[in-house]
Amino acid sequence: MKRKSSFLLDLLGIASAAIVAVLIGFIIILLVSDQPLQAMKSLLVDPISNAFNFGTVLNKATPLIFTGLALSVVFRAGVFSMGAEGQLYVGAFFGAWVATFIPGLPAAIHIPLILIFAMLGGALYGAIPGLLKAYYNANEIVSTLMLNFVATLSVSYLLNNVFKDPASGGYARMPYIQPSAKLGKFMEALPTHSGIFIAIAAAVIIYLFLYKTKGGYELRLVGENPLFAEYGGINTKKVIVLSVMISGALAGIGGVVEVIGLHGALKDQFSVGLGFDGIIIALLARNHPIGVIAAAFFYAYLQVGAQTMQMNSDVSRELAVIIQVLLVLLVSAQAIFAYLKQRVHRRKRGEANAL
Amino acid sequence: MAVLLEMKDIHKVYPNGTKANQGVNLIIHEGEIHALVGENGAGKSTLMKILFGLEAPTAGEIIYKGEKIWFQGPKDAIKKGIGMVHQHFMLVPSLTVAENIVLGDEPRSGLFNLFRDRKKAISDTQKLIDEFGLKVEPEAKVETISVGQKQRVEILKVLHHGARLIILDEPTAVLTPQETDELFDSLKVLVKQGYTIIFITHKLREVMEISDRITVLRAGKSVGTLITKETNKEEISRLMVGRDVLLRVDKAKAKPKETVLAVENLVVNNNKGSTAVNKISFQIRAGEIFGIAGVEGNGQTELIEAITGLRKVRSGRIQYLNQDLVGKSVLEIRKMGIGHIPEDRQSRGACLTASIAENLILDRYRTKEFRTGPLLNAKQIREFSRQMIKAFDIRTESEDFPVGSLSGGNIQKVVIARELSKNPKLLIASQPTRGVDIGAIEFIHREIVKKRDEGTAVLLVSAELSEVMSLSDRIGVMYNGEMVAIIDNTEELTEQEIGQYMLGVKRQEREAAI
Repeated sequence: MKRKSSFLLDLLGIASAAIVAVLIGFIIILLVSDQPLQAMKSLLVDPISNAFNFGTVLNKATPLIFTGLALSVVFRAGVFSMGAEGQLYVGAFFGAWVATFIPGLPAAIHIPLILIFAMLGGALYGAIPGLLKAYYNANEIVSTLMLNFVATLSVSYLLNNVFKDPASGGYARMPYIQPSAKLGKFMEALPTHSGIFIAIAAAVIIYLFLYKTKGGYELRLVGENPLFAEYGGINTKKVIVLSVMISGALAGIGGVVEVIGLHGALKDQFSVGLGFDGIIIALLARNHPIGVIAAAFFYAYLQVGAQTMQMNSDVSRELAVIIQVLLVLLVSAQAIFAYLKQRVHRRKRGEANAL
Repeated sequence: MAVLLEMKDIHKVYPNGTKANQGVNLIIHEGEIHALVGENGAGKSTLMKILFGLEAPTAGEIIYKGEKIWFQGPKDAIKKGIGMVHQHFMLVPSLTVAENIVLGDEPRSGLFNLFRDRKKAISDTQKLIDEFGLKVEPEAKVETISVGQKQRVEILKVLHHGARLIILDEPTAVLTPQETDELFDSLKVLVKQGYTIIFITHKLREVMEISDRITVLRAGKSVGTLITKETNKEEISRLMVGRDVLLRVDKAKAKPKETVLAVENLVVNNNKGSTAVNKISFQIRAGEIFGIAGVEGNGQTELIEAITGLRKVRSGRIQYLNQDLVGKSVLEIRKMGIGHIPEDRQSRGACLTASIAENLILDRYRTKEFRTGPLLNAKQIREFSRQMIKAFDIRTESEDFPVGSLSGGNIQKVVIARELSKNPKLLIASQPTRGVDIGAIEFIHREIVKKRDEGTAVLLVSAELSEVMSLSDRIGVMYNGEMVAIIDNTEELTEQEIGQYMLGVKRQEREAAI
């Protein structure tokens, strides 16, 4: 019953789910591949076998940390927002506009300004489903999923028709960002941009917010027992709106960091479901901000492993997707396993005694 | 008398490690009323679930009519003539009494027996009703009949299924005193006809009144079987708790002072939008306990929610120390010094997944004391929690444990610690001891009386009439959303008199009630 031991048990459960998922992946490799050992090695070892690959893992983990955090925060508040993807686009658009069209600022001012605008964009976009849920009882799953389309397609429209760089050809994007807006590499040997530090800092701040502040206390209570929160005088509607706004802000930074760290310009359709991957990250991390870092790293590792596996063997990268899906199934099925175990246990007892 | 049933050395360990039964022995004689008593969590319900086939024991054996038995499920138990009336009714509200009784075993007729024989269902039901004196109208819809009648339907259903041994799980919890008396009369009829009854309860008065023998459970073990005629309440409660307990509430006469709460012509809606509280007026003064009696669901919940700001007021006034509470937020009302022990601690009063400390600070985390800059003051929270755990005797190893890991009594102590430590000028205590063991009840009653003596005005709502009568200085009775009587609690006042108000048979003249 102790918190620590239940936390360890959780960790053990998730770790074993991850291992089982990878093992099933191995079995599939054995079935489909002529060079299974080579494929397994590529999947597991290659992501850390050289600096380039490892740096790519970190780059891929960065936006996942942001979207994972974004969803952890709303899930903690008991709001099942699926809207990180849309908020990410709106935030990226706001931030990219500042990064591209405001010249002449020193980096030390420009980059924070970009981040603030991205947060603002994401938060405002998050406020819409938040307000709809809190005051009109609109189902947040439906509203956020719909608003995702509105956001991605609106940004796409703007990129193709209003802000398109004429030099970008058939592939729409904004002009390249100002040099002062660029997040540089922090180590010559790694291809990694320093966005990873912003992500880790965000995770630490969210951790402190959730567990050490008044606002975090209120947010968790609303998520765990809204009746209790209401009885304690907490304005649950306000907390719900706030939680979606914080979530949007995080997703927004996640989007713009991709722009100013990785791509160098806001590209059309640059996020291939980062906001949805965030759901898996939050689920894996059990909505714990520090766990999000680990989960995002694992997930990115798997993605890079899948790429190297495709390059170095006859197994295609879709296998990694299978492993990801299995992982989600296994982690979310843990509760079901516990229930089944109980039942089997009970039945066996009953029969043994009946004889 | 012949032994009907014997449960030998029953053990039950749940997969999560809870040891609900650890060596229970129970012998039931044919044709007796056997009371199974014990505090909450003593293992009564688990034992009966094992007998009825709902749970499989970890070890032990059951001998019924001289034959070793093992039930895979309730169906087997029913086949053998064992029936159970659950605490929460399992009836279909939209069907008639007769339809509920024959449900699952309907008399059939016509071509290939394809059609339900409604007439036979009704006549079968009527036959049962006549035989056992359990009065209900066979053709009435279950949703329209009273709680007491619903219980009779449950018993009739069990009889219809052919039960000879009937388990009643806390049957009087929802009944008024009159209904309880009627239930007891029917039970006596049943026993006379050779039926055997196991009666689960924690109300000692009823045990003494109705049972032939008593088995006491404590902490998952059977600690003794007594013959009712040869024992007394004190002995039973000592066995239940494991020490001497004070069954009466010791309190001095109230010294009421200024009026703290004045409710005037209050009208409040329920969730469906119809009137739940209908023009209620009463006053509570500092230093007195005003108890509200009434069968649950007669507007008490809505009344409390209106006073505490959780529910909108349709009309009327709530004056608290000369300020109007109507339209104020929950937070504003809390800040004015009103403590509230809600009726449902599992969902309102506590957050089971949050830690004890997090539950205790609900009323204080906003204050300066509990903050350091933007963060909450962890040290202050820890110290305050430990102080509360000590002062209110909350049995736990650490303030960081989730509240859900505590027993019902200890969860309630967390709620009470939080609400009493703020030194409220008005304390609203709704069902303060529901589902709480005797030891904790004693403690909670003492704390409430202590607050009264310190000058707090107390509004007590309880479905347990005995609790209202032993704690209150004045008693208001609610029936159908109205305050049908306000009576001084004197020695002469009887449960029967209040019961008549509770059932709506009697009401005070309106002038007298104000």
